[in-house]
Amino acid sequence: MDMFELEILTPNGVIFHDNVIEATFPGEEGEFGVLAHHSTVTTLLQTGVIEVAKKDNSIEAVLIDWGVVQVDSDHVTVLADGAVAIKGDTQSSIAKSIDDAKELMHSVAPSASVIASVSAKLENLATQVLM
Amino acid sequence: MADLQDIKREIKSVSNTQKTTRAMKLVSTAKLHKAKELTERSKMFADKLNSIMSEIAGRLKCHSVNEIPNRSFHLIDDPKVVDIVFVTADKGLCGGFNLHTIKAIKRLLAEFENKNTTVRLRGVGKKGIEFFKYNKIEMLDEVINLSSKPDLQRSDEFISVSLNDFIAEKTDALYIIYNGYKNMLTQELHVNKILPIDPGLFHCEDPIHEPYLEVEAYDQEVMLDSLTKKYVHTSMYFALIDSVAAEHSARMQAMDTATNNANEMVKSLNVKYNKARQAAITTELIEIISGVEAMR
Repeated sequence: MDMFELEILTPNGVIFHDNVIEATFPGEEGEFGVLAHHSTVTTLLQTGVIEVAKKDNSIEAVLIDWGVVQVDSDHVTVLADGAVAIKGDTQSSIAKSIDDAKELMHSVAPSASVIASVSAKLENLATQVLM
Repeated sequence: MADLQDIKREIKSVSNTQKTTRAMKLVSTAKLHKAKELTERSKMFADKLNSIMSEIAGRLKCHSVNEIPNRSFHLIDDPKVVDIVFVTADKGLCGGFNLHTIKAIKRLLAEFENKNTTVRLRGVGKKGIEFFKYNKIEMLDEVINLSSKPDLQRSDEFISVSLNDFIAEKTDALYIIYNGYKNMLTQELHVNKILPIDPGLFHCEDPIHEPYLEVEAYDQEVMLDSLTKKYVHTSMYFALIDSVAAEHSARMQAMDTATNNANEMVKSLNVKYNKARQAAITTELIEIISGVEAMR
């Protein structure tokens, strides 16, 4: 499958930079997915989880508090205020990253529905990341 | 010939100064590494945001840009009131670091004066503020302890005034001037026109087929407003952290030069001391010989 370059940047540095097959973004108007050769678009992102499918079919997730995404046909850049990557080799390290992500989410105080849906998604992703 | 005790005292004084400058150099080196790391990490974010904004401004330029409500993308050829925000250090002893920024501000002030444009000067950093106060140049705003300790919240609060005034059409442009970090030995002066947003080198090659703006259509204005706010806040905060890194590198260099100069001074004073000592011994010997000769 064709891949594209995904870069997630915050003022504190690069959170994610790799070639990926697919990425799903929490757009202001709802979630949307991006594959390689997507049409050019620039849009805002709200508090939520960016899901990334890598070439080895593994899943990686990054929680962001606010962001803007610029999509080109083979390059996608996300600029986020704050971001936490959900990753780790053990259950405890993943649990730690989920705690950090929740802390970041609560710091921007989104609505209760956003908190509930993002929390559920984080828990769900944690099992996928560990697989 | 100078008194031996005086020279000795001078050598001790210069040596003590050298100890201080060496310690200050070490402190600046340690602080520089921390500040440099933060600057380098933030630079990618700031540069990318700048390029996104320039691209949007460029695409808007190809069409009737002045029709959109967001004034940040309008083409304002003849500004009547301009905000100049400058960032200097709170402390001295960093060579020409502050002076370079001050000279650039003065050049810009003269430029705007020739065009009969009113300038509102907003200063961050004690050294720059002191200079303009001494020269009786009026300032709208003065902030200290922000350039030495950049704080995101204070930075946002400070620059929001300029952004809001620009949106309310009280001002027509916003400039940020600061001396930024280039490498361990060099600083780079930045005179950045933040508002209205510069379309850069974007070319309208085929304006008819060029999409007006490739954004999700749900609410273009909300997106442009939100991005503009983020862009202005990021530009200000990045100017602060870049300036801190540059300040430390300038101070490290200045203190290194001062330490070397003190070293040279101690060397030449030692030569002077030895010459004076030798002269005193020779004088004493001549006196003894003369005394012996006289007794014969």
